Amino acid sequence: MDIQLKRGLLEICVLTVLNRGDSYGYQIIKDVSPYIEISESTLYPILKRLETNQSVVVNSVEHNGRLRKYYKITTTGRNRIVDFLDNWKEVMTVYNFITEEMRCYTDE
Amino acid sequence: MNKTEFLLSLEKKLVALPTHEIEVTQGFYSEMIDDRIEDGMREEDAVAAIGDVDTIVQNTLLELPLPTLMKAKIQPKAGLKLWEIVLMVLGFPLWFPLVLAFFIVILAVYVSVWAVIISLYASVAAFAFSGVAGIISLLFAQSFAAGLLMFGLSLICIGIAVLAFFGVTKLSSWLIGLTRRFLRWVKSLFLKKEVV
Repeated sequence: MDIQLKRGLLEICVLTVLNRGDSYGYQIIKDVSPYIEISESTLYPILKRLETNQSVVVNSVEHNGRLRKYYKITTTGRNRIVDFLDNWKEVMTVYNFITEEMRCYTDE
Repeated sequence: MNKTEFLLSLEKKLVALPTHEIEVTQGFYSEMIDDRIEDGMREEDAVAAIGDVDTIVQNTLLELPLPTLMKAKIQPKAGLKLWEIVLMVLGFPLWFPLVLAFFIVILAVYVSVWAVIISLYASVAAFAFSGVAGIISLLFAQSFAAGLLMFGLSLICIGIAVLAFFGVTKLSSWLIGLTRRFLRWVKSLFLKKEVV
């Protein structure tokens, strides 16, 4: 998959998982990985970026004698999911057009 | 590799970054390893699952602002030797214009992209303005036919302005995305292996 596209998709996947409820790094990886390949080294910059553009807020919670960072989605984050879905509708229209055209082409 | 060794190696490779940045990065990976251990993994397996330190360092550096990244990559780890200082001074007429040119090129790309955006919006504004001006000019129309023609033309102008506004907004956000990709590419020039 194109790297830029994947970066964008991963951001939205992380936001979607957080839309269910607050979560932490490892749990996010477990929730996202069935759908798209994600590793710690890709998640870290994504979470930083989401935090910088105020799509998520972070707070540390004590867990088994250590601190664990929990990420919470903000209204900005939710709006980004909505924008993504709107944009993707157009992409799907184009996708359907191309697959249909190619099917007719290979049938001939 | 155990957790301590992993975090130390991370610290060593990120040494040029501000201390706070290193601590935050270490904190994130330390939490990840602890969570995997809690999930039932052995410490070594948990560390191995996190991935290779070099990839982590590359991904972290790519997210930094350009000046911080340049400082991190260019600044010598040890103090400068005498011959290096002499070489820098003597080479000044050569390297300074090159560095300057490098930044000017980056600036030029940004300025030209923004110039395109501004000129597109200016055209939209011009259409809207001519539409409104055309309607006002109806007050001074010489004949009914001339007035009707002017009214039609004004509506066309306003219509174009409204439609073009949406198009221009889309195009602008795409252009801004392009500048982001450009900056990312510039940053990748400072990293050995390209992982953009």
